[in-house]
Amino acid sequence: MDQSEIDALLKAAGTQPAPSTPGALAGHEVEGRVISEIDAVTAVTERETNKVMDQLDLISQLVNRQQTLITEVMKHSGAQDPAVQEAIHQILSAAKDIQDKVFGAMDLMQFQDITRQKLERIVFHLRQIHDYIVELLGTGLKSEGERASISRTIQNTGTTPDEKKADADAVVEEFLRSKNKG
Amino acid sequence: MKILIVDDSSTMRRIIINTLSRIGYSDVVEGDNGKSGLEKLAQGGIEMIITDWNMPEMDGLEFVQTVRTQNAAIPILMVTTNAAKEDIVQALQSGVNNYVVKPFTPETLKEKIESLLG
Repeated sequence: MDQSEIDALLKAAGTQPAPSTPGALAGHEVEGRVISEIDAVTAVTERETNKVMDQLDLISQLVNRQQTLITEVMKHSGAQDPAVQEAIHQILSAAKDIQDKVFGAMDLMQFQDITRQKLERIVFHLRQIHDYIVELLGTGLKSEGERASISRTIQNTGTTPDEKKADADAVVEEFLRSKNKG
Repeated sequence: MKILIVDDSSTMRRIIINTLSRIGYSDVVEGDNGKSGLEKLAQGGIEMIITDWNMPEMDGLEFVQTVRTQNAAIPILMVTTNAAKEDIVQALQSGVNNYVVKPFTPETLKEKIESLLG
């Protein structure tokens, strides 16, 4: 498939193809495109992460159902043999392990939000580079207004997320101690 | 115990809701930024708030400051990626009662919630 076919496909899907000539867009258009592409990546990642979460939820529900059924089997008169009871206990223990692993996997999905904020930080730095170049060239073109809230946070605090990993607990304790003294 | 969770990431809200449900708190209300958080809070019945910092429209810091003008007592836990010491201090000065840096473990969240409710 050549580029024109790819472009036609993208057009049919309602997506604008990228320009074939580098530099065909003005600086602010490039910046806008970068931001919208990063936004798209973020949106798709969030959507797909939620699909994974749906599957994990489903597994969790199935394991719960399995545990309920096995617990019922345990009470059955035909399952009172010690060897059978032991086997059932092992099955229940394995089910609990699966449940724990599912919860662990759900917790790991926090990566999506952290990655999203890292991408927003990249946008912030790109905007700064863009403004610097524009200022250097004296074109008077400034980047467009703040889009992502994180940019505002970065401007307000002068820091970016996880730039400095303070021990949050220690800071909270120190703050509360000094507050109590005062 | 009704808990308000304010975070613009639907994934994070799900993770927090899931963690809360595992530690015995299943009555939750959601907001996706500070503004919607205030709307949910105004509906009443909220006994604790868990909020993110970086959100569109109204960020977590502004949200906390606004809540504190109306309610000085409600426990507020901030869960965010902002880990710099000055950020934590700023959040505490704004009225946050405790602070968790993402990514967190269920144990950490449980410990913080219990210390706030204790």
